[in-house]
Amino acid sequence: MRPALRSALGGMNQSVLRCAALLVPRDQRADWRREWSAELWHMRRSSPPSERFGWNAERAAVAFCLGAFQDALCVRGIRRQERELAPSRHGSAGECLFWLAGLLALSYILALVLPGVYVESHPSHYQINPGMILLQRDLFTDSSAATITGQQFLDLKASPQRGIDGLAFYLMTKETVSPGVQVTPKWKVAHASLNLFALLGERVIFSGARESHGNLRALVISDELWSREFGGSPKIVGRVVRVGRSVARVAGVLPRGSWRLPGGADAWLLQPDSEISPSAVGYVVAHTTRYGQAEMYGDRLHINAFVADDPDADLWGVSFEERTRGPWTIFRFAVFLAFLALPAITSVSLGESCFSSHRPSFIKNLSRWIFLSTKIALLLSITYFASLDFSYWNATGYSALSEYAQLASSFFICLFGMRWILLDQRERCPVCLRRVTHPAQVGQASRTFLAWNGTELMCASGHTLLHVPGLPTSWFGTQRWMYLDTSWKFLFAGTGVG
Amino acid sequence: MASETKLSHTAAMILQAIDTGCVYGFSIMEMTGLPSGTVYPAMRRLERDELISSRWERQSIADAEQRPARKYYKLTAAGRVTLEASRKRYPLLARMIPSPEARSV
Repeated sequence: MRPALRSALGGMNQSVLRCAALLVPRDQRADWRREWSAELWHMRRSSPPSERFGWNAERAAVAFCLGAFQDALCVRGIRRQERELAPSRHGSAGECLFWLAGLLALSYILALVLPGVYVESHPSHYQINPGMILLQRDLFTDSSAATITGQQFLDLKASPQRGIDGLAFYLMTKETVSPGVQVTPKWKVAHASLNLFALLGERVIFSGARESHGNLRALVISDELWSREFGGSPKIVGRVVRVGRSVARVAGVLPRGSWRLPGGADAWLLQPDSEISPSAVGYVVAHTTRYGQAEMYGDRLHINAFVADDPDADLWGVSFEERTRGPWTIFRFAVFLAFLALPAITSVSLGESCFSSHRPSFIKNLSRWIFLSTKIALLLSITYFASLDFSYWNATGYSALSEYAQLASSFFICLFGMRWILLDQRERCPVCLRRVTHPAQVGQASRTFLAWNGTELMCASGHTLLHVPGLPTSWFGTQRWMYLDTSWKFLFAGTGVG
Repeated sequence: MASETKLSHTAAMILQAIDTGCVYGFSIMEMTGLPSGTVYPAMRRLERDELISSRWERQSIADAEQRPARKYYKLTAAGRVTLEASRKRYPLLARMIPSPEARSV
């Protein structure tokens, strides 16, 4: 055979091997091609020198090269088979944690996006000076209702109290505002004492001078109104507007969710106490002294004040603690209640008993407990944020209804979430933490006392069988794990060799 | 368990060939008479099932002999056990692919 032809045939063989290599999975391609090329070289060398470059040798080489295609297809088949046999993520511990983490991320993002939730979850937004109380006429009056007349406030202010060292009054009215606002719906305006802000704590942003100049009053607007009516422009400070019959200058903006005083004011118009109408019914906030705080009964303080128009009426001060305590206290209480109620709706056992003497290793046991703890931690976090999202998504201030909604939603999410966690944990293989599958009914219910009947589930990876009794008996009360030794392996293995 | 693995006749022949000293793909093909499209996939399966193991020859050795490096195959402990079981199942195996000692006799 001519050398040129021999060289051409050799190049063609290499091309065939290169083409065959393209069918092999990428990570094995180079290794296979190298082996084929090396073996082809040795195959040629193994022929006697007289036949090395003959047609028979070339035919054998071509047969070898074409066999490479079969090799490549077979390798692809093996890879496909391995992929099918590889444990999927479905039902794995990772998948479970992934979904829980996804729920947590979703509820957390909602908590950041929803303004009411954002304020609620940051108690620093609505903190006020300590020792503040809201006065009301009767012990069990709804604290969100105005009960104190202007005259009573003035009388109280005139007669010093041992338990109180500061008082401020505000009266809620609805006023039209102009100019500067294109649409002029009525605002909820609080006509407030000049010392109200000092008593509660300074929280005003873009603050300007709040002293009154002649008839020009200082007006502080809420963050919601500022955004809604003025587009959040900082140039609002100093603008003169007419509020009802008063002319006012905007002195600042009160941050969202501040103070949580009853009335839900859109704006605060500061005016001297001398302008308070004696017959107007409004709210009185007061600062308690140490003596006053010592005299408090729970969150209430009895005020020994003479009320001229109703000598029999009692005045009580209600602490702001309930309004400003934040959602964490409610959440903790709801979780406590849920854990108390949990045994009523499910068994808290994890089904640890097993047939055989085999036990998972310490590391496996530890990872099982870590998995359970992680699930519980994620559930509690989801409960916290999801209950906030549900309860405060539309809240603009303090609302007892929202607090009840948070309590209820936290309780139910935590209770049924814990139930799911325990049920899920009981059905996870202690070795690989995958959920057991393929439930099979074993035995007959009518033979409960002769032989066990129930459901048998198995770990798809071949580690364990789970036996759940259909009817708990004294000898088979809870579910049991059976650990499978290597003799079971053939049931779970793929196709055999060759 | 490895001792319970039931091999096809082809796989058993390959194991037997490796055991008798044919440690390269082409030499196994020569010894068993099987084509390349059968031998290599079978060896990959045997390797996957940890009955044989493979390693590349050092390049320096191949360079010294002016030839491409080759891939060596050898039986694992599990492979030996499986081969023993296969010999009982296929009694002609040892006669089809005799060991070098048997050949010399």
